Amino acid sequence: MRIKGLSLEDFAILISDYLIKNGIDVVLSGGACVTIYTKNKFMSYDLDFVLISSDNQKAVKQLLGDIGFYEEDRYFKHNDTEFFIDFVSPPLSLGQEPVKEISEIKKGGRVLKLLSPSDCVKDRLAAFYHWNDRQALEQAVLVCKEVEVDLKEVERWSTNEGMSDKYEKFIERLNETKTA
Amino acid sequence: MLKAIFGSDKKGKILLYLYTNGESHPREIAKKFNFYLNGVQKQLLNMERGGILYSKLKGKVRLFGFNPRYPFKRELESLLDKILKFIPQEEKEKFYLPRLRPRKTGKSL
Repeated sequence: MRIKGLSLEDFAILISDYLIKNGIDVVLSGGACVTIYTKNKFMSYDLDFVLISSDNQKAVKQLLGDIGFYEEDRYFKHNDTEFFIDFVSPPLSLGQEPVKEISEIKKGGRVLKLLSPSDCVKDRLAAFYHWNDRQALEQAVLVCKEVEVDLKEVERWSTNEGMSDKYEKFIERLNETKTA
Repeated sequence: MLKAIFGSDKKGKILLYLYTNGESHPREIAKKFNFYLNGVQKQLLNMERGGILYSKLKGKVRLFGFNPRYPFKRELESLLDKILKFIPQEEKEKFYLPRLRPRKTGKSL
């Protein structure tokens, strides 16, 4: 399996497809989705895969070991790439809500399951809402500028999270970048 | 009571401690309950891996607390809140009723 020189998207597709074909269902979340949706305008090196079943943790370690990955501080690394993989425990959630729809990217007969653009924005906003992480706010804005996002749904979710005030700050920032 | 709910008395006490005290570090928790440090660290790391807790470095100390993004946080806190009502007053005062408001430098107790 060739890993050297792959873009983040191609690397994610390769790993996801390899795991899915071996019976491990995973969904990409976190900053790597931002990289994919913004076509590398924001660069993440950390691929957070959410395991759909927590029973698969040992099998994942074995499968990645078979293709040259080693575990270091809970992350899986490979000598041929700067990207590293983290496996997040289920459930696949955004704040208090489960993820309802999962997007797919298909390429060369392989498939990557990942958060939809709107859920990717919610995921980034969750970091801004709960940790006050301004980088995550900028990433959410960047995704909105690059791909179609259902802002009504993001607003509904934000209200449910008790974060209407911070949603307004997000919209302010989004409007600022539109006029800039 | 805690073992029946959380599968481990230690895990239950750690969760109650973090719920009532906010952030803490493994050494503080181990000292408070007279637990082995390794056992506390293992429980905290397992709960971090499960998404229940977050951790962050402050200086050289790794602090743990409830992960605000954990999907069952509200329900877990509600359970812990109810459990606290069944904890004997003496135990509650010893472990779960910390002073959280600030105290000015040099002010006597």
